[in-house]
Amino acid sequence: MIEDDVYRSSSQFRLWSFTEASLKSLRATTNTVASDRVRAALRRAQDARRSANSSATGTPAPGSDAESKATEEKPIDCLTPEEEQQVVDYYSEQIIQLGENYKPPLPTIVRATAIQYLRRFYLTNSPMTYHPKQIMPCALFLATKTDNYYLSLRQFTEGVPGQPAAEDIIAPEFLVMQSLRFTFDVRHPFRGLEGGVMELRAISQGQGQPAPHLLAQTPEDLRRGLFSLSPSSASAAAMNDRISRAHHATREILKTAAQITDAYFLYTPSQIWLSALLLADRPLAEFYLDTKLGGPITTQQEGNPLYALRTKLLLTLNNCATILQAYKPLASDDVRMKTLKRIIGKKLYHCQNPEKANLAGQKRIPAAAAAAAAGESGTSESEMERLAKKRKLEHGNEPKDLFGGDLVMQRTKEKQLDG
Amino acid sequence: MPPARDAMAHRGDDDEVCPVCKSSRYLNPDMRFLINPECYHKMCESCVDRIFSSGPANCPVAGCHKTLRKNRFRKQTFEDINVEREVDIRRRVMQVLNRREEEFDSKRAYDDFLEQREEIIANLVHGTDVAKTESDLQRYASENMRSIRANQALEAQEASSFREQQTQEQELARLRREAARQEYENERKELLAGREDVLSRLAAGRPGDAAAIAREGQKVLLKKSSARRSEEDRIRQKQAALRNSDARKAGQGPLTTADRADDGGAPSLIKGLKKIKTPEPEKPYDPFGGLVPNQRDYYTLRDYYPNSYLDPIRQDSRMQAGGYDLQEYYSRTLMEAFAGLGCFLDEEVSKRDITNTSNVSRPVATEGAALAAVSSTGAPEESS
Repeated sequence: MIEDDVYRSSSQFRLWSFTEASLKSLRATTNTVASDRVRAALRRAQDARRSANSSATGTPAPGSDAESKATEEKPIDCLTPEEEQQVVDYYSEQIIQLGENYKPPLPTIVRATAIQYLRRFYLTNSPMTYHPKQIMPCALFLATKTDNYYLSLRQFTEGVPGQPAAEDIIAPEFLVMQSLRFTFDVRHPFRGLEGGVMELRAISQGQGQPAPHLLAQTPEDLRRGLFSLSPSSASAAAMNDRISRAHHATREILKTAAQITDAYFLYTPSQIWLSALLLADRPLAEFYLDTKLGGPITTQQEGNPLYALRTKLLLTLNNCATILQAYKPLASDDVRMKTLKRIIGKKLYHCQNPEKANLAGQKRIPAAAAAAAAGESGTSESEMERLAKKRKLEHGNEPKDLFGGDLVMQRTKEKQLDG
Repeated sequence: MPPARDAMAHRGDDDEVCPVCKSSRYLNPDMRFLINPECYHKMCESCVDRIFSSGPANCPVAGCHKTLRKNRFRKQTFEDINVEREVDIRRRVMQVLNRREEEFDSKRAYDDFLEQREEIIANLVHGTDVAKTESDLQRYASENMRSIRANQALEAQEASSFREQQTQEQELARLRREAARQEYENERKELLAGREDVLSRLAAGRPGDAAAIAREGQKVLLKKSSARRSEEDRIRQKQAALRNSDARKAGQGPLTTADRADDGGAPSLIKGLKKIKTPEPEKPYDPFGGLVPNQRDYYTLRDYYPNSYLDPIRQDSRMQAGGYDLQEYYSRTLMEAFAGLGCFLDEEVSKRDITNTSNVSRPVATEGAALAAVSSTGAPEESS
């Protein structure tokens, strides 16, 4: 199918599509690596504090030593992959809320893109390393740019709650882009939905076009098929109304459920909007699929490739629909909200990587910060070499200096005279 | 053949007597003998005029019934009539079998061709298997008309360029001779003038200066002659260079563009010709690589879709003035509606991952790309 090959060429298919298993293992790897680093960083921070204390007091006080030992023995409680997932989901929802703060509100597609950026970012990074509170506005600001919805940074900053500095918002921008692997193209199901609805309306008005592989269809057949759907209605107005309702419901699902779940990673946009349509109006969606892939299953169709595609597609769409249906907004669920608050408020606070906290500062002096974070072993040969080279370069330039050489000669001469 | 042999036998006696009218050169000193390549019977000019002026007629020699035409009569080149005949045959065969060496696969094939040609000529000369040889030759000539023509043209061209070159060379040699003579004259004149100059100065000057003046005159002469010699050298070098360039130009023979219409059908007379490789005609450029531009697998695009939201745009000239085309919107939305409908990620991604991991040398150019390898290396953080 030509359309499928078009999609296969997209970066979303090439880099950001996963199976359920690979998605899970990727998140698990990210979590373990991040946890290790957080533990190491916290230990280093403690060591640094203790050494500072000991140097300040001169002799280490026995009490403080015991205390530090106690903290050392207490294992640092890191987030689990599931908890991380909840945190990311929460901030994804926050992006939708944040979009409402602007006048006019940010377009759905900008928010959706931002959410996907955030989710893609946290596939390879952990909330323990970079706090989503910092990343979230940056992802949204990046999305306004990539989706061609211009907002100046000042305008954008005014909408962000807590009034952070503009620098703080764009501080992690390069980091985010890097983690996105510089692929900014997100294929959304929204426009596909419009196309599908457009065609359904054409069918309802008797202007349907047969699919390229099913040329036997006539517009009148299609129209009759549409009007004979289960809650059958004779009037064109009622059918129009039904399509509009399905359209609206599907759109709502796409705006929320499709964004906050892993649907984008596991399914293609056209599969997502069709499964959302299945949820909104199952007979309508099935009818539409039948017009594309041939009628309902009959035994004589065994060898037909369209038949094979249809069975496989229905299975996939149903799986996707289950994922979409399982979604419930966090805000509506008090219990989950409470646990989430505990996770973010306490646990995430304690296991935040202290070395990555100040992104804006880190950006300003990246090399120094990196060297400090890496410890003494990290001030690597490359740095030493660079310094050595610099020194050499300066030294080498000296004899060529127009007046410098003379001065030295002068001094030696004076010395000789003195001697 | 027999008449020719007879003629040869009695040549000494018949030399001065026309075998037809029996008039002898003794009576008519201006008598010229002509022959016709049809039968090679000799007769005098007046006989030819008398017999053949009113159109073709039979040969007047007894026993020879060949029909001759007046325009074919010509002067005999060689004394021996057999040689004359062979030369004629050879010319005719050579005109037909005029393949060139560069048309053959190998030297061996060309040699075979030459041998074959000689054989044909010998056959025709000695009258063995004449009918078959002639028919072969005819067939070959009609089949290879174009290549024969082309080769003839080439030969003519070569001959003319050769002639041209020769005349040019002769002209150059003449010029050189002329220049040499001129130079010799000049030299002599100068020598004389120098001597006269010295003499006149000797006559005018004091006797004490005689030796000095004589030496000076000698020096002037020497200087002049050496200057001339260097000048000569220069000219000679120039000419040599010119000659070389000419030779080089002449050496670049024109390439053969003969058609070698060898077909697999009837066995050709000549074997070992190079196969002609006709380049395949270039296909028209296909920018879509075989794809039909507007072909789709899931839908057929219409010109118009009813839509209450888009219909006003159709009517609004302000919206369309900038080149906005609703057709673009239709094709894009429908494309996105179905792009990837048949991509089953759970299958395709796992397949892709397998090929990826087997392919160890993944291009890791940037740190962003390094992040991509996270599933295999397990290092999600950026550099520290």
